Amino acid sequence: MDRTDGVTRILFEAFGPAEVRLFYVLGYAAIAIFCYGVYVQIRKYRRGASLELDGGLKERFGAMLATVLKGRTVDRRDPAAGGAHRLILYGFTLLFAGTATITLQYDILEPWFGIRFWQGEFYLVFSLILDVAGVALIGGLVFMMYRRGWMKLPKLDYSRPDRAPGDPDFNRPQYRREDWAFLWILLIIGCTGYVLEAARLVWLAGRAEVWDTRWWSPVGALLAQVLMALGLGEHGGGLLRHGLWWFHGLIALVLIALIPYTKAKHMVTSAASLMVRDPRAAQRLPRVPDSQAQAGAAKITDFNWKQLLNLDACTKCGRCHEACPARAVGAPLSPRDVILSLREFARATLESGKVPEAADLDVHGKAPGQVAMETLWSCRTCMACVEICPVAVEHVPIIVQMRRKLVEEGAMDPLLTKTLQTIHKTGNSFGESKRKRGAWSKGLPFAVKDARKEPVDVLWFVGDYASFDPRNQQVSRLFATLLHEAGVDFGILYDGESNAGNDVRRVGEEGLYEVLATANVDALSKASFKSVVTTDPHSFNTIRNEYPDFGGSYAIEHYTTLLRRLFAQGRLAVTRPLEHRVTFHDPCHLGRFNQGYDAPRDLLALLGCELIEMGRCRANSFCCGAGGGRIWVPDPVGAEKPAQNRIREAAAIPGLEVYVVSCPKDLTMFEDALKTTGNEGKFVVKELIELIRDATLAHRPEEVPA
Amino acid sequence: MSGILIIAEQRRGELRPISLELVSAAQNLRRAGDQVSVAVLAAAPDRFIDPLSVAGVDEIVAVKVGLAEFDPDTFESAVGALVAARTPEVVLMAHSVDSFGYAAALAARLGLGFATDVFKTERIDGELVATRGGYGQKVNVEVDFPGRTTVLLAIRGNVWKPPEESAAPRITAFDPPPVQSRAAPREFIELAAGDDIDMTGAEFILSIGRGIGEEANVPKFRELAAAIGAELGCSRPIADAGWLPKSRQVGQSGKTASACKLYIAMGVSGAIQHLAGMKHVGTIVAVNSDAEASIFSVAKYGIVGDIFEIADELRQHF
Amino acid sequence: MKILVAVKQVAALDEDFEIRGDGRDVEPDCLIRDLNEWDDFSLEEAVKIKEAAAEPVEVVAVSVGPEEVDETLRKCLAKGADRAVRIWDAAMEGSDSIAIARVLAAAARREAPDLVFAGVQSSDQSFASTGIAAAAFLGWPHAAVVSHLAYSPGAPTAVFRRELEGGVLQEVEIRVPAVLTIQLGINTPRYASLRSIKQAAAKPIEVLSPADLQLTAADVGAAGSASRVRRMYVPDKGRAQLIEGDTAQQAARLADIIREFKGAAP
Repeated sequence: MDRTDGVTRILFEAFGPAEVRLFYVLGYAAIAIFCYGVYVQIRKYRRGASLELDGGLKERFGAMLATVLKGRTVDRRDPAAGGAHRLILYGFTLLFAGTATITLQYDILEPWFGIRFWQGEFYLVFSLILDVAGVALIGGLVFMMYRRGWMKLPKLDYSRPDRAPGDPDFNRPQYRREDWAFLWILLIIGCTGYVLEAARLVWLAGRAEVWDTRWWSPVGALLAQVLMALGLGEHGGGLLRHGLWWFHGLIALVLIALIPYTKAKHMVTSAASLMVRDPRAAQRLPRVPDSQAQAGAAKITDFNWKQLLNLDACTKCGRCHEACPARAVGAPLSPRDVILSLREFARATLESGKVPEAADLDVHGKAPGQVAMETLWSCRTCMACVEICPVAVEHVPIIVQMRRKLVEEGAMDPLLTKTLQTIHKTGNSFGESKRKRGAWSKGLPFAVKDARKEPVDVLWFVGDYASFDPRNQQVSRLFATLLHEAGVDFGILYDGESNAGNDVRRVGEEGLYEVLATANVDALSKASFKSVVTTDPHSFNTIRNEYPDFGGSYAIEHYTTLLRRLFAQGRLAVTRPLEHRVTFHDPCHLGRFNQGYDAPRDLLALLGCELIEMGRCRANSFCCGAGGGRIWVPDPVGAEKPAQNRIREAAAIPGLEVYVVSCPKDLTMFEDALKTTGNEGKFVVKELIELIRDATLAHRPEEVPA
Repeated sequence: MSGILIIAEQRRGELRPISLELVSAAQNLRRAGDQVSVAVLAAAPDRFIDPLSVAGVDEIVAVKVGLAEFDPDTFESAVGALVAARTPEVVLMAHSVDSFGYAAALAARLGLGFATDVFKTERIDGELVATRGGYGQKVNVEVDFPGRTTVLLAIRGNVWKPPEESAAPRITAFDPPPVQSRAAPREFIELAAGDDIDMTGAEFILSIGRGIGEEANVPKFRELAAAIGAELGCSRPIADAGWLPKSRQVGQSGKTASACKLYIAMGVSGAIQHLAGMKHVGTIVAVNSDAEASIFSVAKYGIVGDIFEIADELRQHF
Repeated sequence: MKILVAVKQVAALDEDFEIRGDGRDVEPDCLIRDLNEWDDFSLEEAVKIKEAAAEPVEVVAVSVGPEEVDETLRKCLAKGADRAVRIWDAAMEGSDSIAIARVLAAAARREAPDLVFAGVQSSDQSFASTGIAAAAFLGWPHAAVVSHLAYSPGAPTAVFRRELEGGVLQEVEIRVPAVLTIQLGINTPRYASLRSIKQAAAKPIEVLSPADLQLTAADVGAAGSASRVRRMYVPDKGRAQLIEGDTAQQAARLADIIREFKGAAP
């Protein structure tokens, strides 16, 4: 029956009832296939371990919506892709919403309640919006095709660093096929939509209300003119429309049905992943409950449902692959490929009716879908991958979970084993007697208070490297001098301090970490202080984020914020401004982990230094390579080290005089890299504390302990 | 009980040098009237009489045993019988791999006084006192043997100098009781030389230890050794880790570099097994970043510093 | 099939240590205790045999000492031992390696294993005697400094190699049951994670006294020992002549020493 109470599009116009029924049958079939696919996916996630989320679902949903709609995470480090994706997202969403609106009226509101709104002005504006949405969609898709096909972006290279060119899963051509298929399907749907629109206009050119309002669908109308100019008549238009209608409809239904089985599912999984994200995923690792028999992940089902969801959220964008320092120096690790391997594994094992035997669920090894030991041990736990991932995949906790299992088996480099044993025996990674921990302070002209014996305002947690490594001991003495001159009442724990455990935990030796954390919390609980300061970002991270899980919550800051405050209060003053041209290396555990980007820069400005940023700075800072226990394991012979890669980046800054660090491991790694890259003599590596001391020197050289 | 009985060591037809060091060790325990007898156990003991005819030896006892090479049951039985027959006050053996195999069993079975790795012997108020190391050689421990009429001491090598003069001791034979050994020695296996190196002949050795850090640093020191004209050696941890072939391991278990006159140890801390193998060397130069490393107590010269920097600087001179 | 592994908790001296008042030992609070390095290897060797065997093999760790030794035995349980036994009472104070060997032999008689492993020596007192003396008390075949072992559980003999001075090995075939002392480097000891050590706390450690093994006071302590400590003292360490100066100067002096040596050589 025709509707004449407002311009609208008559659905199924001129279709016989059998055709309409056929369409509905196919439609429901597509939805059924879709629903089954969703069921299989959800069943897969439920086969993982359980996990409780903190925070309300409502807040999480709101935050996710904002992130997705703004497209902020896709913009990062690739604004072109961000822009194109935004077009695709809005275009597709609007078009989908459009269809849903029509269905809403046609299948629900009208037959059940007699409500009709999709007509008249509403209909016309609706048509315009959808036409614009279609242009956006097609525009975004075309750019993405150009990006994928012509721009040859390294991050879209699927070849794996942990496989050799002959291996079956070396560069996954099936992924490329799927990528292109997805782009083409959407493009075809979009384009046929317009041609269909145009064909209808040609077919109904005789109907005034249709023809006169055609410019509310501008693209369709334009195309209609073209078709008519090409000689398409009303009858031809009708045939074309009929054929295209089915073509377009079928492809759309196929797309819908296949969403849960293909890359298209990221529309749901990526959003869901964003919704359940843990903003402190890498900074605060989960404990192993005592009740759990096996520490870490040995089987795919040892991962929790969120981690399994993460695996499906990945869109192979390659940003983590690009950011990873291990991958950059040729180590057999790409965070992307860890996730994709596990995804393939989960798919192969957890999507079938019955879960396979435990023996077939082992995710460690070299078979397709498994992750090799060498891959896991290459990780520096610098969280560059977690930080940049647009869909909130949490790679680092997954890697650490797998390391925990390797540690249980003792499957690690013998030097690493030795270091862990040394830390257990002596409480530090140097194998020095506990009693020598405070020995660095003996050369100072004043006594450093023992915080175990008397109350202090500020308790300085020194850390292993700053206590035992000769080069870093120099820095410790300077920091003590600065605090002393500023009149800060501070003390250290002397033998009461043990290795804070940050890296031990990230190596996967959770048992040893618990011993260390418990010992330190115990020592801290017996001392009396108002706040804690540390010169070691690794200690800073674990004490700040992880010790509360062990009963120790402290007001802790990194030395950069403390010193900045002392300057602001006038307790420290610059007496000789330094006019060096410097660059600053953001330490992973201070910057990316804890957003401590500004205080060091403020201090450098105070000192009068000219700061030239490196390309990879702030959140994109390039790890020195010492994290994740890697400072205790030698790098393969002949390979470039991350620190060398980074120094070369700095060396490209013309006239650079000082490479500034604010972490003891950075100081060690970069001074070494300065020599081994042949840059010794061109610029120097200095700890920020050393520069501050230089600048606050009150022209009395004999006061300065070296 | 009187007299000192020395059990000499031989292997593959050669008298081991420690046998003569034991003769020197026996001299300061000798009381008036004490005889020093040296027993040599072998299938053909006579060939060792000549090398054992040194000053300080009163008697050489040729003990003909059924096996050509050392075997615990055979030696234990023969030496046990000899001790029962001769009733010496002191029995001296080498603190060596062979004696590890039976000395303690002999002492346990015969109820002898017993101490091993002894590097000093004396009599205090007539009592026999032996000094050995304790707590990883960080302290010295004096032990005595109250109520024991015969004492067995396993003596550390490279402490006493062998006697320089020869002599003409009387020769006797001892027939040990027949024994059915519960072990059957098979062949000797030389460690694969790998690079055809024979450390035993090297006069100048540069050794590397754990201080070199990673395997990647080995080539630097190999190159340095070649430049200065030294053979490259290493301590046990380096060989165990596979960074250098076992044939280059120097120390108690590795090649006893008996011809070595100049020994430069870089990054070697000086664990006792390594030191024991190198103590005889005339000039030892130790380079280590740890001022407290044990090797500085046996070295003639020491450099406390970074071994890589020293290596680089040294390289410039050659 | 059963393998008995005798282990020792050794004591290393901390930085500043003091000799006790009676001059015969050090003050106990400056000691750092841990599993003897050689015993790590002998335990690993036993566990390897167990894991490779078709039939069940029980690995039992045994040690002598007071309660603090339990920590080391727990580490052994975490590294693959099935059971642990500790033997002690006050009368055992002052035992030397012969007295301890007598106790270990009694424990071995009770357990009736097919093989007894011990380390070649301990890193603290380095007697290199306890295992072999225990063999004499047991009356079993024995061998020391085993650097390679081939044994199939149930076989009447084992074939091993002993590591001699000068980098030579000797292969020997020995009748079983036997006592073998194991040398460093025979295998790669597995790492026992702290979690597994904590979980091993669930496995019980059987504590026995010498009387439980039919030993009397005369068998242990000073009475059962073959030597007695008279005095312990810190020796004057010979000291190397330190070459002073900066790196360049030190290297130059070393180069001189080398050249002098080479000039003197014929």
